[in-house]
Amino acid sequence: MEEEREPAVAEQAVGKTGAEPGKSAGDEAAAKPAGKAVDAPVSEADRESDPDGSEDAAEAAEEAGGTPAAEEPAEKSDATAEPEADSAPQPTLRLTKVTEPAPVAEARAEVKVESKVEPKVGTGAAAKPEPAPAPAAEPEPVSEPEAEPQAAPEPGPTPDRNTGRRRLKAALWPPRLSRGQLVVALLLFSLGLGLAIQVRSTNDHHSQLRGARQEDLVRILDELDSRQQRLQQEKAELEQSLAKLENSSNQAKEAQEQTRKKVTELGVLAGTVKATGPGIVLTVDDPQGQVKADMLLDTLQELRAAGAEAIQINDVRVVVNTYFTDLSAGGVQIDGKKVSQPYRFTVVGNPQDLTPALNIPGGVVRTLESHQARATITQQQKVVVDALVDPKSPQYAKPASK
Amino acid sequence: MIAVLGLVIGVVVGLFVQPEVPDAVVPYLPIAVVAALDAVFGGVRAMLDGIFNDKVFIVSFLSNVVVAALIVFLGDQLGVGSQLSTGVVVVLGIRIFSNAAAIRRHVFRA
Repeated sequence: MEEEREPAVAEQAVGKTGAEPGKSAGDEAAAKPAGKAVDAPVSEADRESDPDGSEDAAEAAEEAGGTPAAEEPAEKSDATAEPEADSAPQPTLRLTKVTEPAPVAEARAEVKVESKVEPKVGTGAAAKPEPAPAPAAEPEPVSEPEAEPQAAPEPGPTPDRNTGRRRLKAALWPPRLSRGQLVVALLLFSLGLGLAIQVRSTNDHHSQLRGARQEDLVRILDELDSRQQRLQQEKAELEQSLAKLENSSNQAKEAQEQTRKKVTELGVLAGTVKATGPGIVLTVDDPQGQVKADMLLDTLQELRAAGAEAIQINDVRVVVNTYFTDLSAGGVQIDGKKVSQPYRFTVVGNPQDLTPALNIPGGVVRTLESHQARATITQQQKVVVDALVDPKSPQYAKPASK
Repeated sequence: MIAVLGLVIGVVVGLFVQPEVPDAVVPYLPIAVVAALDAVFGGVRAMLDGIFNDKVFIVSFLSNVVVAALIVFLGDQLGVGSQLSTGVVVVLGIRIFSNAAAIRRHVFRA
């Protein structure tokens, strides 16, 4: 609305500067088209008609004499402008605005252009005459920065779209031998070479290190160091545990060995294992049956006192709980087993100790001889005690804690 | 065609001959290769656009390679070699992708 008013004001100003009587006509002209474009172009176009002409004079002449003449073109342009009456006013108004500060001649030129082109050309382009030539030049500056390193400005891909494949085919076949092609081929050859070398060396671990940077190398070295440390630690732990296991297995073996040895030793003492070794054989021949259990027991005690380790009387093994019983019908029972004459003691022990122990004055041999029995001692390097007793596990006695 | 042949021959030679690369060049080879790839993609795009120019291609190829290697070298000297080379690869990768997109539009119209 403001803009609409302005031309009228301008007109009035013009009118004032010009002849007085023209004022009313000018007002009328401005009022009739309601300050529309039509008015401004007309008057200015008219003004333009005299190139340098003083506005005032032209204005005056026009207003005074040629009102109808002025009206006619006004009507004409109005008619042409009418179809786009809506859009037309704005640019023209803008124009009038522009004309105010701008040099008159320029403004006129613009107006002339506009009045001719108005019906078809977009108002914006006409309204800004300065940038108007720019669009033609615009694509170039825009495309230039976009262009690829080797590329001159590309003139928009749209027209080329259909020819892209054709170009590709044309470039590939038939081969053209030119210097440029050869140089490009050389460059691409070097590219392929570099590519292949790089791929190879990347896949090859050794040369991978060769091309590595110093910091990468340091990092790799650090990693390797820490890994090695870790592995060393692991190795030490494993070795330790191996030693422990070996130790324990050794100990177990040792213990087993000792236990077995102990079992054998104890078995010898308990009479569950055959025994052999140096010793003596004492044969007591008692034709008159004078030898009683107590005398055999004495003999046994003497032997034990002299260090006998395994003793067998006839086929009865003498152990810790062996007992001797006199039978009422004559004869002796050992461990509930009747032993017949001659009583034959097989003793494992030191013969040099056992023999004198039996032969001491007032000892076993003398006592037996005093009862008309005959005792014969033979020392042997190897006697065999092969009678066994059945081990009996104790029914009541249990090992007491220490 | 000759150019494509050159590329193929280069790959084959590199794979089978296994030439020794001087140690000084080894760290810059990957970056140079990527830069050259970028130039090649740009060249193909330019060819499809119909504005391919041998001279421009050669210059861009060489300058790409040299500049990329130079940047990495500088980065190594400054102690930010790996970061800089990562940056270079990223930039070149973006360019390769955009060029590849243009090529794709030309060839497949999509």
